[in-house]
Amino acid sequence: MTDFLRRLLRTPQGFLGSLIVGLILIAVALGQWLTPYGPADMQALARYGAPSIEHWLGTDQYGRDILSRLLDGARSTVVMALLATFIGTLGGAVLGTGSAYLGGRADEFIMRTVDAVMAIPSLLLALLVVSLLGSSSANALLAIAIAFMPSMARISRSVALAVRKQDYVSAAIARGEGSTYIILREMLPNVIAPIVVEMTIRVSFAVMLFATLSFLGLGAQPPATDWGLMVSEARQYLHRSYWILLWPSAAIALTAIGFNLLGDGLRDALNPRT
Amino acid sequence: MSANYILKRIALIFYTLFIVSVLVFGITQILPADAAVMMLGENATQEALEALRQRMGLNDPVWMQYLHWAGGVLQGDFGTSLRTGQPVGPALFSALGTSLTLAGFALIFMLILAMPMGVIAAIRRGKPADLIVGFISYIGVSLPEFVTATLAVMLVADMWGLLPPAGYIPLSQDFWGGLERLILPVVVVSVMMIAHVSRMVRSELVDVMHTDYIRAARLKGLHPRRVLFRHGLRNALLPTITIVALDVGYLLGGVIVVEEIFSIPGIGRSLMSAIQNRDLPVIQAGVMIMAATYSIVNFAADLMYAWLDKRIQYD
Amino acid sequence: MSFNRRAFLKTSTAIAALAVAAPHLALAQAEPEQGGTLRVAVDQAISVIHPLLTRVNPEYLAGELLYSGLTRLGTTMEPEPDLATSWEADDDLTVWTFVLREGLKFHDGSDCTSADVVASFEAILNPELASPASNNVGPIETVEAIDTTTVKFTLSSPYADFPAALAYNNARVIPASVISDDFGSLRSTAIGTGPFKLVSYEPDRLVVVERNPDYYDPARPYLDRVELHVFPDPGAQVSSLIAGDIDLVMTIGPNDFMRLEGQDGVDAQRVASGQFCNVNFGCDMAPFDDVRLRQALALTIDRQAMVDFMTEGFGTMGNDTPLNEAYPFFQPVPQREKDIERAKVLLAEAGYPDGFEAELIASDRPAIRTQLAVALKEMASEAGITINVTTMPHATYLDQVWTKGAFYIGFYNMQPTPDGIFSLLFTSDAAWNETRWNNKEFDELIGKARAVSAAEERTALYTEAQALMNEEAPSIIPAFFDMLGAKRSWMQGYDIHPRGSVFRLDFAWLDGTAPTRQG
Repeated sequence: MTDFLRRLLRTPQGFLGSLIVGLILIAVALGQWLTPYGPADMQALARYGAPSIEHWLGTDQYGRDILSRLLDGARSTVVMALLATFIGTLGGAVLGTGSAYLGGRADEFIMRTVDAVMAIPSLLLALLVVSLLGSSSANALLAIAIAFMPSMARISRSVALAVRKQDYVSAAIARGEGSTYIILREMLPNVIAPIVVEMTIRVSFAVMLFATLSFLGLGAQPPATDWGLMVSEARQYLHRSYWILLWPSAAIALTAIGFNLLGDGLRDALNPRT
Repeated sequence: MSANYILKRIALIFYTLFIVSVLVFGITQILPADAAVMMLGENATQEALEALRQRMGLNDPVWMQYLHWAGGVLQGDFGTSLRTGQPVGPALFSALGTSLTLAGFALIFMLILAMPMGVIAAIRRGKPADLIVGFISYIGVSLPEFVTATLAVMLVADMWGLLPPAGYIPLSQDFWGGLERLILPVVVVSVMMIAHVSRMVRSELVDVMHTDYIRAARLKGLHPRRVLFRHGLRNALLPTITIVALDVGYLLGGVIVVEEIFSIPGIGRSLMSAIQNRDLPVIQAGVMIMAATYSIVNFAADLMYAWLDKRIQYD
Repeated sequence: MSFNRRAFLKTSTAIAALAVAAPHLALAQAEPEQGGTLRVAVDQAISVIHPLLTRVNPEYLAGELLYSGLTRLGTTMEPEPDLATSWEADDDLTVWTFVLREGLKFHDGSDCTSADVVASFEAILNPELASPASNNVGPIETVEAIDTTTVKFTLSSPYADFPAALAYNNARVIPASVISDDFGSLRSTAIGTGPFKLVSYEPDRLVVVERNPDYYDPARPYLDRVELHVFPDPGAQVSSLIAGDIDLVMTIGPNDFMRLEGQDGVDAQRVASGQFCNVNFGCDMAPFDDVRLRQALALTIDRQAMVDFMTEGFGTMGNDTPLNEAYPFFQPVPQREKDIERAKVLLAEAGYPDGFEAELIASDRPAIRTQLAVALKEMASEAGITINVTTMPHATYLDQVWTKGAFYIGFYNMQPTPDGIFSLLFTSDAAWNETRWNNKEFDELIGKARAVSAAEERTALYTEAQALMNEEAPSIIPAFFDMLGAKRSWMQGYDIHPRGSVFRLDFAWLDGTAPTRQG
């Protein structure tokens, strides 16, 4: 494990990614204690403030402290994205490995149906699900999880099939190991590794998809502090103060970059070939 | 590639559209809105609403409504918009044309930029050029379109006044005026694909250059550039076709956001306003058309892949 | 014009923007010139051009360009002649006779006579066709043609505001033959008597109309063409105006107004209006059936801060009645001020000494609904009231909450008359009885005012009605919005109208510096 960590941190992507994601997770965990102001406190006299000593990142259209809102929003934005990805991956993995396990006609049927659903762009699928369930963060989470399932199912199926054919599995079978041992010790770790890499990269998609849903008015709703919603609300005040727009955009971009880098770092660390 | 394979692929497209139709019809049935109210407005009387429901068959069992709708779709009749009272098909197909123009330019623009970026990064692996391309692509995949679009409009249109901020003119009506208005949307919608595809080209090319096949060509003493272009690039391009085709799904999603911001009357905007207004027939038809577009593009990519693959083997 | 300007002065003297907005009023006196294409930006799709079925402002604009009514609203909200040149009522204001212009022609060349007027109003009142106008044109019982140019309306009750009510956006005259043959055909074509004729119609992108040479006033319209461009993104409208791609943006937000104020060649336009966003209580549902609870919540609001939050100062304080200085027959009643202590006392009396919790629903369009909800949430928390804001898509809101909910945000255009707004929203028999307040005393006052033509007496009755509403607070009306728009300076003869859905583009013209008049 330490060996793996060392390998992860030695690649530039892995190092930078771990650093950024680490910082973001700190903000998520401790954000509510670090906020200098209440995220919903309005100050009628301090609206559209530029960054200053009192308000490091400035204030928004209601005179709310942007830094406090960003820290507060980190929790919902990042945790939601992680959860949506996790649920989507879990659902996809169950579907994909299940399909690979069943094989034959069932496999064919499941995979063709998964392909069919993939023909709907994931943003559109998420839009449909949200408009069906109603606009809220929780429903956006579910929508993104559902939108992720088909492609995760595809990936986990192909990984599962490939792993079954690997030499070390055959070797274990040849050694006469029990199937529980084979699945737990040989197959699972090798199935999980590529899925974890894919999942990490997907988190950045999820962050952006959340933001886009909020922009289109179908994700989080005011006065929530989701970053995507903050950007979307800030657009109409752009010409009063661009800071309101800039900071949450930067937060989204940084989070997405962090998880992308971490994902690539993990891939390299898990797969020393290249 | 056999005729059998092609037939199977076409059958798959129909299966896909069948699944999508069931899905989208199901979703629109449960949507919290009453089609009759949507059509007649808030101040319609109960009697008028009931009469309309009868006429539209809204009181029939769901499966009957589905069969009725699907039968219409097979004959090219997508129903009537609840909002405009106009047939859905013609309006959506003309919107699709607009979106495909946007998407087509975006694809071309993306290929022109992403290919060289990927190749340069692969050749100069680990060198500054590779790092720069890598950096750009990390930024590119990390910015949602609505952020890029907002920044682009603010800088290019509002502050520098270089390009029109929004609007759409059909190219057939005013080619240069239309093109000018397409530049910003095309750039915005292709940013993420450029980042994605250039990374894919790079990694495919790096992998291919490590294969025994390329090593053998090198050992034969072929010129490095010849090895790269005649052998390496060709083999690396093949998987790229599939990736680009899969990205079309992403492109169709991105179009929704970009059309909204730049006021482009494409299918994404039709769908968005249909979702907002609960214009159920338009949602159903729009999703079907998007799914069909995606399936057909991927089918074409598969055919191209198979065709190119054969040529390479004959080489 | 004079009233327009006076209303403006009254309500916004303190604001420096006046200095910028005033000069163009003087400029508009210049002699109109013919020609050019006016390019207008609208913020929603023009999904419906059937004049009897339009529902939102951009659609009303298309309807106004293509069709005429019997009367139309002037800039002072007074009914002006449109197809009718004169009208008179009997003594108890129930029988109204309208005289049409001679020689009116529809766009297809056929004559427009009293028969078409009768058929149009029968269509408007036909519940099968569900025209939104049916609730707004007054208590019409019968419509008859006396001769080819005279129409007689008989009302079921007296109605002094009838000519203004007939100027309603959907009360347009269409050919009788179209009504009997194919009523729906007007969803894609247009046969009216309006100043412009339809050239092309794409709901999501562009509507083009051209000058109608047979318009009843040979001088008007001055423009050769009008193009309505649909821009779903408000920022894009304003950017296009600055870039010179657009000549007129119908409505803009306060921030865009401030952005445009200093721009060369652009006139930001502003007029005080009775448009408002309100908080509706279901007065028949607990806990809001308790008047003390409603009063308590109304007392938590700092109204000046609300004007700032919601309108950036481009608005006026509300007093929980739908009337303000922009309306005729208006007299202020004592202003309700913020008083948290009093609110707490009222809450305790109502049995909520520790405050209460409630879900406030706002539809997502326009965004100002949510702004009101968010600001109210903060203000009410001072009195211990916990408000949870729920935002939902407009379609879902209309389906599930509107006129049914217990606690939600409304948004309304200014109506032509006090009666128009009172009997649209707040009387027991209101078309959209949002609050179910159902106060008999209030109904009586409004009903009485309908049968009176003397201005003083009407003012007294409406003031009494206002006082009653303010006291009982069936709805919180914290602020009124000014109407804001913007045009290029080369466009002349246009002022933004306080009603929000009246445009009068047949009076607009382009001077020689407009790009579409060159070449």
